[in-house]
Amino acid sequence: METLSVVAPAAFAGVAWGILGGALPGISPSITMALLLPFTYTLDSAVAIVLLASTYVGAEYGGSIPAILIRTPGTNAAAATVVDGYAMKLQGRAGEALGISLYSGFIGGLIGLLVLVLLAERLSGVALAFTPSAYFSLGVLGLSVIAALSRESLLKALIAGVLGLMIASIGTDPVTGTSRFTFDSPELLSGIPPILVMVGVYALAELFEQSGERGWEQATERPRIQFPSPALWRRIAVPQIIGSVIGTFEGLVPGGGGTVSSFLAYNEARRWSRHKDEFGHGSPEGVAAPEAANNTVACTALIPMLSLGIPSSNSAAVLLGGFLMHGLVPGPMLFVQHRDVVESLFVGLLAANVAMVIVGYLIMGPCIWLVGRPKPYLMAFIYALVVSGVYAIESSLFQVGVALGFGVVGFGMRYFRVPVLPLILGVVLGFMVESNYRRALVLADGDLMTFVREPLSLGLLVVALLFVLGSVFRQARERWRLAEAAR
Amino acid sequence: MSRDGVLGAALAALAVGYYRAAATIPASGLADAVGPGGLPMAYAGVLGFLSVLLMLRGWRTVGGEAPTVAPRTLARVGGLLAIGIAYIVIVPRVGYPVALAGLLIGTTYYQGGRLNGQVVVVGVAGAAVLWTVFVAVLGIDHPTGVWLERLIGQP
Repeated sequence: METLSVVAPAAFAGVAWGILGGALPGISPSITMALLLPFTYTLDSAVAIVLLASTYVGAEYGGSIPAILIRTPGTNAAAATVVDGYAMKLQGRAGEALGISLYSGFIGGLIGLLVLVLLAERLSGVALAFTPSAYFSLGVLGLSVIAALSRESLLKALIAGVLGLMIASIGTDPVTGTSRFTFDSPELLSGIPPILVMVGVYALAELFEQSGERGWEQATERPRIQFPSPALWRRIAVPQIIGSVIGTFEGLVPGGGGTVSSFLAYNEARRWSRHKDEFGHGSPEGVAAPEAANNTVACTALIPMLSLGIPSSNSAAVLLGGFLMHGLVPGPMLFVQHRDVVESLFVGLLAANVAMVIVGYLIMGPCIWLVGRPKPYLMAFIYALVVSGVYAIESSLFQVGVALGFGVVGFGMRYFRVPVLPLILGVVLGFMVESNYRRALVLADGDLMTFVREPLSLGLLVVALLFVLGSVFRQARERWRLAEAAR
Repeated sequence: MSRDGVLGAALAALAVGYYRAAATIPASGLADAVGPGGLPMAYAGVLGFLSVLLMLRGWRTVGGEAPTVAPRTLARVGGLLAIGIAYIVIVPRVGYPVALAGLLIGTTYYQGGRLNGQVVVVGVAGAAVLWTVFVAVLGIDHPTGVWLERLIGQP
């Protein structure tokens, strides 16, 4: 395990980068992480993972800064903070709102980390029982998450997932070594690295999308962060607990994520509050609950990713990309083969939550300055950062071109309202699904029943089936409700 | 045709092309029962089926949203992409710092900034900062550029 002296600077740097990125409207935590991903290539694996995870932590707080100051959430998860945060700002209490956001994020982050440490290893405890059949079924379980992510259209989510699997099949065949879809290009022999897909569909597609939009509003004041008084501490304790509990469950559920948990936490905090009438008019509880929730999710969303290798959110998918880039495969064997990296991550997340309070306090000025820069300059700098970073991965201009191509694909997916995360799931799980499917069949002399004969494999397939059926049922129920409302 | 109909048709064409490419993957002597082309052909089949469903949904949607992109947006995105491609083409010739300064100045200008001294200064300074980070600090071997190499007499 890397010592705290090595991990802490990475945590501080990641949090600072995350806050700055999160503070820019439209730049989500996953995009902030994707921008950083190529930089981590030359770093020690544990330091790189801590840097990326800390960026996620920082971005969740950073998103609340423009939410409170200019009524524009920096991240989707900060949308619930706008309601009471901006109302507090109008009352001249912006510093107090930012202090509550920072402190609640810290509490939520610590609770999330505690849950992460307690649950992740237990889930991965069955590592040694995994055979090729079970790994295949685990991959299928991961792909079944696509159904849960299909909030708008299951059909489009499935299409995105299949496209991801097709991208993953480019390169050398995992069993026979035959070249597939390489078109005699040596650069494609090792396949398309997931990082190029992620940088393209998250960072470059966002850049393309933002290029057609107007600049965001400028902050007109520079408030000083005020941490809550003891009386306020007591008042916001319950909403913080509510936010943390909801954040824990939403982090574990595929497709839950910070946005859903923030709104649920806001709603529940209002329901349990003694000051319901203050909600919507500058309630400190209305800031505390969503901020605790989204920072809890920043830790608990890592549980399925670390223990099963299944990313349940965009940010977890980018972090998974970081693991893969360093030759680390999240999933059952991670705790056995790279325990040191996992422990460094836990220590790093603890440092990141402490860093969030310190850096969050100090970085307010630069954040407001950054949000105030003309948008063309910021976009140009982000573009330059992406092309430089992608080249740094393997010193390949071909890869810069591939990333640009995926930027266009990502832009097209947004235009046609096709979700991006299923594509990423297909890309990162494609190799695992195909190689283990074929290995399992070789071991079982081509007998397909091997996947249901092994109890662990069968159990995972049943859970996958339940996921899909549950999602189909949920969508049918929503459609029925809409039809009822239309009548 | 609606947006879904257009997407469905494009994906169906992709599925056909992908299937034909998968069918030409040579079988290896080490091949298992599935073979290197087995799953790709299955993926193409699934994509084809889903695309047809999407097309049907698109056609069924009477008065569905037509696939239009505002010309301004298309020009901005196309221009940004062209700047990126131009960067890839010129960086081996002019070198990383010069190409990057060009990318920074070009993107700022294209995104609505004015082409004045400030944009040029910020572009050159930004390129210098990124060169320092990537080349001087991280030690990434970004292209020096054949023109500069000739100028300073390097091979």
